[in-house]
Amino acid sequence: MKSNFLSVFLSLAFTFIILTILIVVIGKDPLEVYSLIYTDVFTSGYGIGQTLFKATPLIFIACGLAVCFHASLFNIGAEGQLNAGSFVIALTALQLDSLPLVLAIAISAVAGFTAAGIVGLIPAIIKVKKGVSEVITTIMMNFVILALINYLMVDFFAVKSTLRTVSIGDKNMLGKASDIFPFFEGSSLNITFVASLVTAFLVYVLIYKSTFGYKLRAVGFNEVASKYIGIKVSKVVIASFFIGAGIASFAGLNFIFGYKGYYELGFSNNIGFTAIAVALLAKNNPIGIIFSSILFAALDYGGLAVNQLIPKEVMLVVQGLIILSILSSDSIVRNFYTKKGLV
Amino acid sequence: MTKIELRNITKSFGNFTANNDISFCIAENSVHCIVGENGAGKSTLMNILFGMIKPDEGEIIISGSPVTFASPHDAIAKKIGMVHQHFMLIDDFTVLENVILGDEPVKGISLNIASARDKLKELISKYDLEINLDEKISNLSISIQQKVEILKLLYRDSDLLIFDEPTAVLSPIEVNSFFEMVRNFKNTGKTVIVITHKLNEVKEIADKVSVLRKGNLVFETDNVSGGIDISEISSAIIGGAELLTIKSKDNQAKSGQIIVRLENISMTSNKRKCLNGLSLSLFAGEIHGIAGVEGNGQAELADIVCGIEKDFEGTAEMPAERASIVPDDRLKKGLIMEFTIGENFALKRKGNSYHSEKELLNSSEKVINSYEVHAPGPEVKLGSLSGGNQQKVVVAREISSGNEVIVFSHPTRGVDINAELFIHSQIVNERNNGKAILLISSDIEELLSLSDRLSVIYKGKLVRTYETEELSNALNNSEENSDGKIHLVNQLGKLMTGVSH
Amino acid sequence: MEIIYSVFSFTFLAQVFRMMTPYYLGASGANFSERSGVINISIEGFMNMAAFSFAVFCIMTGSILLSLILAVIVNILFSILFSMFTVTLKINQIVTGVGFNLLIAGVTKFLMVFLFSSSSNTPRIFVGYELSDNITAFSIALIFISGYVLYRTKFGLRLRSAGENPWAAESLGIKVRQYKYAGVLISGVLSALGGIWLVSSQHNYSDGMIAGRGYIALAAMIIGKWKPVNIFFACLMFAAFEALEITLQISGAEIPTQIIQMLPYLITILVLIGFIGKTKPPAADGIPY
Repeated sequence: MKSNFLSVFLSLAFTFIILTILIVVIGKDPLEVYSLIYTDVFTSGYGIGQTLFKATPLIFIACGLAVCFHASLFNIGAEGQLNAGSFVIALTALQLDSLPLVLAIAISAVAGFTAAGIVGLIPAIIKVKKGVSEVITTIMMNFVILALINYLMVDFFAVKSTLRTVSIGDKNMLGKASDIFPFFEGSSLNITFVASLVTAFLVYVLIYKSTFGYKLRAVGFNEVASKYIGIKVSKVVIASFFIGAGIASFAGLNFIFGYKGYYELGFSNNIGFTAIAVALLAKNNPIGIIFSSILFAALDYGGLAVNQLIPKEVMLVVQGLIILSILSSDSIVRNFYTKKGLV
Repeated sequence: MTKIELRNITKSFGNFTANNDISFCIAENSVHCIVGENGAGKSTLMNILFGMIKPDEGEIIISGSPVTFASPHDAIAKKIGMVHQHFMLIDDFTVLENVILGDEPVKGISLNIASARDKLKELISKYDLEINLDEKISNLSISIQQKVEILKLLYRDSDLLIFDEPTAVLSPIEVNSFFEMVRNFKNTGKTVIVITHKLNEVKEIADKVSVLRKGNLVFETDNVSGGIDISEISSAIIGGAELLTIKSKDNQAKSGQIIVRLENISMTSNKRKCLNGLSLSLFAGEIHGIAGVEGNGQAELADIVCGIEKDFEGTAEMPAERASIVPDDRLKKGLIMEFTIGENFALKRKGNSYHSEKELLNSSEKVINSYEVHAPGPEVKLGSLSGGNQQKVVVAREISSGNEVIVFSHPTRGVDINAELFIHSQIVNERNNGKAILLISSDIEELLSLSDRLSVIYKGKLVRTYETEELSNALNNSEENSDGKIHLVNQLGKLMTGVSH
Repeated sequence: MEIIYSVFSFTFLAQVFRMMTPYYLGASGANFSERSGVINISIEGFMNMAAFSFAVFCIMTGSILLSLILAVIVNILFSILFSMFTVTLKINQIVTGVGFNLLIAGVTKFLMVFLFSSSSNTPRIFVGYELSDNITAFSIALIFISGYVLYRTKFGLRLRSAGENPWAAESLGIKVRQYKYAGVLISGVLSALGGIWLVSSQHNYSDGMIAGRGYIALAAMIIGKWKPVNIFFACLMFAAFEALEITLQISGAEIPTQIIQMLPYLITILVLIGFIGKTKPPAADGIPY
């Protein structure tokens, strides 16, 4: 535990130093940049609201990934899985506009979860039945699924000359947080953020407190021992992929019910890969994922805030630096502790 | 003429002494066999000789001058070559590529395949190896793969060849041709060291035999034209029956019905026939011991009985519920070291339920108290417990899952005497509770003191089964007169090493 | 009918060979890395990095040769960093690959805006057709070069031994880690050429121009069973798909191009399952040593 905090701290410190150097190199005042980020992101209701709004899908996806990662399953396919789920959520919601909102959302969520879960099942079944590593199959599945959705959208579901579905209509949209808390005025923050917190909590219980979670982590730590203990390893692999991929689909709830009202090609913008970094930074702990998602979202929104000084894309560099520095500081800290005999 | 001399070699790992002040000489142009039980220190000694391990004390003298090896590379340079029990071959490479790797002839920037081929062809015909140089390793049988390993040594002009358990993987015919090869090496002036368990083989090829037991060199004898006394060697290996103190069990077995029946089971793994027509029945309320030198099919038998291995021929009737198993390697197979005791127990739970911190701590606490596990507290991870206590946890977990059949595979290997006594009492307890127990061990003392029925496994087959009565007669007699026991132990030793069937 | 005619034309064939170039460079690079036992899923990122830096250096220096050398050097630096992560620190290769892809995407997007105030593309760079033709010629020669290096040299034998059984290799005195570094380095250099080809044939750098080619390269390597000649044919097939897609788009035929786009990936999955042929990676591929 101590070593985890140390390596997270080291990597964030390292990234901060590199970023500061970068800002100086391009001739800007780091203090000015940081204070701008601070005022924009943390002192206005709009900034806080936007940050939490952007954190919502990250929390969902990274929690789903955490389920797979705990079982040592390298699911690189979240991008495809979440798109399949979101696409189905939008299509389902369009059929349900006569139902009460709560029911419509619940049914759409189940449909989306199932669709994404099935996409996740394909690499899982190939792994279990054929012994093929999930890494390449999940990567390939991303492209297959995105191309398939693209085809279905362009030829059947998209509004003519756009890349989006028909809107579900205002009646079926979730209210904004600002309807109740005017503090968040203007931001798109909505109740799915709370849902993501609940999800994180439930995933936490699932991973750390349930029998399934113990079996899942046992498989991740030592597959051979798990087999001898009597855990059905294939079932665990299949279940974790289904659940992990399914949860990622909830990213679509935020976008469709809470923001735009429709599914749009490219809405995810590689968030399925960013979520890998988010989960890693949090050591795959769902509670930690809430914080690392908010950090990544703050970077994203903070980029917009400083865009007048430095291109907002600098935050993409920062995200990349965080993932690489957390990987290396993990390894270095672990070696250090092992050498000292502290672990 | 002495080829190589080991002087006062001592090597310890922690407080375990693998080699204790071992000295011996190996004559040039001879075949020297080193025998001993698993864990007697043979491999450590050979790894020292091959530069893979540095001794704590002592020195190695080759042809009169002392040498020190920092790595196998140094040993190879001194013309020492070793064929490991698990071959160091690259499956996807051809024979030729495997042999030249690390010592490649080049012409310009290209590999000079032609010159390598010429040299190898010469060696192949000289030693009658019959290998196709262009075949991939993965297409070759184990015995040909062994020949490739040998060719690697010959290619590097090694003149001291070390073989670690060379015949363990060979069929009887292949064994004969291997011996032929060894004699051929001797005739061409090379020196050969063979580590083995099989005493009839020792009788056939050795010029000299050294016996190691518990890290000490306990016996040495020359084998003049095959006139060696095998029973003398086998009792030196096992440690002499006089040392055996067999505890009688608190009460006798009340055998019930057959719970597991295996009929004519055969199994091949990695192109090796590990089980070859094995039949075995386990009765309720009985401990069935399996004696044998490791690698004769025990691990596969355990996997089949506990339902992990399903890829075999023959019939197996077993309860629907999977058997419990205390596996042979607790680090790799027994425990999740990153979990606490309670968490390891939770893995046995069926269905899905919530586990509170308190419940898991209670469960840990219960195990710590009722199974005498010494742990700093209920919250510690298993990785920080001692080997004996880890093993107690495995035993406790498997026993408490309440299955009808329990497999114990080397249950007391590497544990302290306290844990050993405790585990033994638990095994007997479970027997008394009517469980059918399969006890696999290489510790003769353990087997004789616990088994109600005892079989010897050799090359994937049970070659002899001692029924309860036979066993108790031999052991009971021993109280007045130790002949029965000594006789039994000697007989076991011969069966295990393939001397008599 | 017209489509069928155009598919069998010489121009179409020439186009296929040109389009094969970045695939084959990326796939050969990935193959060298995997043959040494390091899975490199950031071929996509490596191509992107080199494409971008080549464009920038061209604009800055005006010298094609110098830009080419500098872009390759940039990729060598990234390759060394990648090797430090995966070989020296033994960090998981897949996660490292994901990290490099994210970092490189970030760096290029940031520098695009910073240097050119555009998030989409650089100004036009016309480097003539010579460079892209030469790279295409080189990539065809690479079939023989990589076959020769992998199977006929001491270096290749040792590199492959590192990916198949590093323990056996080390027992014969081979310095396994050095060969893994070398494998990753070659993947960096070859994918750099793939990225440079894209810039020189499209006459500028644009964001997202690699468009999954790095992943298709991995797919071709798998379908080609990690063998230079087979990989070449896999790349040729994928290039034919791409050319066909363009031909169809121009002709306005009613065949969904998305289906053609997903073919490389779908075929790869089918090959992995064992429906079409059998494929097996180097035995110790992806295992930290």
